[in-house]
Amino acid sequence: MKPFEFIKAASTEEAVAALAEHGPGIRILAGGTDLLVDLKHAGQSPGVVMDVSGIDDLGAISVDDDGLHIGAGATHTAIMTDPLIAEHAPAMIDAAHTVGAVQTRNLGTIGGNLVTCVPSMDSGPVLVALEADVILAGASGIRRLALTEFFVGPRKTILAAGEMLVDIVIPKANLGKPAGFIKFGLRKGQALALVNAASAAWIEDGKFAAPRIALGAVAPVVIRCEAAEAALDGQPVSDAVIAEAAKIAAGEAKPIDDFRASKSYRLDLIEVGVRRTLAAAAGLKGE
Amino acid sequence: MDVTMTVNGRELTASVPPETTLLKLLREDWDLTGAKLGCDVGDCGACTVLVDGTAVNACLMLAGQADGRQITTIEGLADLDAFHPLQKTFEDLAALQCGFCGPGIILAAKYLLDNNPNPTTAEIRDGLAGNLCRCTGYTKIIEAVADTAKELAAQSAA
Ligand SMILES: Cc1cc2nc3c(=O)[nH]c(=O)nc-3n(C[C@H](O)[C@H](O)[C@H](O)COP(=O)(O)OP(=O)(O)OC[C@H]3O[C@@H](n4cnc5c(N)ncnc54)[C@H](O)[C@@H]3O)c2cc1C
Ligand code: FES
Ligand code: FES
Repeated sequence: MKPFEFIKAASTEEAVAALAEHGPGIRILAGGTDLLVDLKHAGQSPGVVMDVSGIDDLGAISVDDDGLHIGAGATHTAIMTDPLIAEHAPAMIDAAHTVGAVQTRNLGTIGGNLVTCVPSMDSGPVLVALEADVILAGASGIRRLALTEFFVGPRKTILAAGEMLVDIVIPKANLGKPAGFIKFGLRKGQALALVNAASAAWIEDGKFAAPRIALGAVAPVVIRCEAAEAALDGQPVSDAVIAEAAKIAAGEAKPIDDFRASKSYRLDLIEVGVRRTLAAAAGLKGE
Repeated sequence: MDVTMTVNGRELTASVPPETTLLKLLREDWDLTGAKLGCDVGDCGACTVLVDGTAVNACLMLAGQADGRQITTIEGLADLDAFHPLQKTFEDLAALQCGFCGPGIILAAKYLLDNNPNPTTAEIRDGLAGNLCRCTGYTKIIEAVADTAKELAAQSAA
């Protein structure tokens, strides 16, 4: 790694002030599992590296009238073991459990995962399916937007200079919404997703209500499959209806061919993933 | 920068450049060469140590992040009189071959058993998914962890 200055922020205010002071010459370090790999390969010094892992409330998980708040600094392990997550958004536990291996989950944070913004990120699909918002803090104050707007492209988010991600909010209306997550990799541990998928839906009188389907690793950013959702909304729960929605979802994705998997294999995985996660959300046993 | 941490129960200090990883600090400043440098990017687990009791890859943590904390390396597990039960079972079963992955595997296993004293085979595999072994095929490693769990349970019942 090229030499840099190392500082620790004790509070979000302090971190935001340091971001303003150092401009582009500062990088945030949360768990460091993406940043250190980056810095080991970088030809240039990042200037200043600011450790935010000591900011206690940045990792807080809580529920209020707004919904379920997950602090950007919450580690994947914290998410897997938090009782509020288990109660209100258990599919997040399944997603967190698929990140890397235990050593990575003990350090890596949900905020770092969203900010790195690779298409295969495992935190994205469930949060998109549950229509999460993100809260950003900068020198000019706080702004809140939909997570889908936060993702701009591969390794690119809407974060402006001097801004940091502080909080992720699953809106109150979606707490407890039945949801499922699945990840397909080349092996179970320590493998990036070839495709990952999440679905969420209320079931009212045996019919899908407000279904949401999100896919990762199949487009430049995590996407929602709105045509499949529209086709599903109001339909009675059945294997046939689910299979049809999964076909439509595959049509909405744009997976690529690469050395890990072909496009046609990924399209098959999408259909299977959407079928299984919708079945999980609907409480069916699935295939 | 100056860092101070408690390593295997002993307080140690060093003055290192900020871009020093915890792994480099342990190996090169303090001669604790049990934690190994394998991939240097979080994939192989050979550098696994416990920081405040939690398994992490020391190649992905800066010395500054470990400042003020409790570190356990493989050197801290045995004392002069006896092996840790995990080390003993690994030896009894000949669970390792070249041994390069061993310090990381044993510390990952310790973290697993500290948090889940009675793991299923699937849970053991999950707990060791971040540790690569190029020699053994894992079968005896998994057996050794399961046997240690039984042994520790028997000890605490006695
Ligand atoms: C071996 C290994 C396996 C992995 N496997 C997976 C996997 O299976 N699935 C997966 O999705 N990911 C995986 N990852 C990637 C990584 O572990 C995750 O993305 C992790 O969640 C990153 O979090 P972090 O806290 O370590 O981020 P850091 O490395 O600390 O930061 C990542 C980036 O986000 C920025 N940042 C961090 N926090 C904030 C904030 N609050 N505000 C603004 N910017 C911020 C940093 O400046 C940096 O650019 C793996 C990584 C490794 C090393
Ligand atoms: S050397 Fe740290 S994980 Fe391989
Ligand atoms: S015993 Fe040789 S790498 Fe595991």
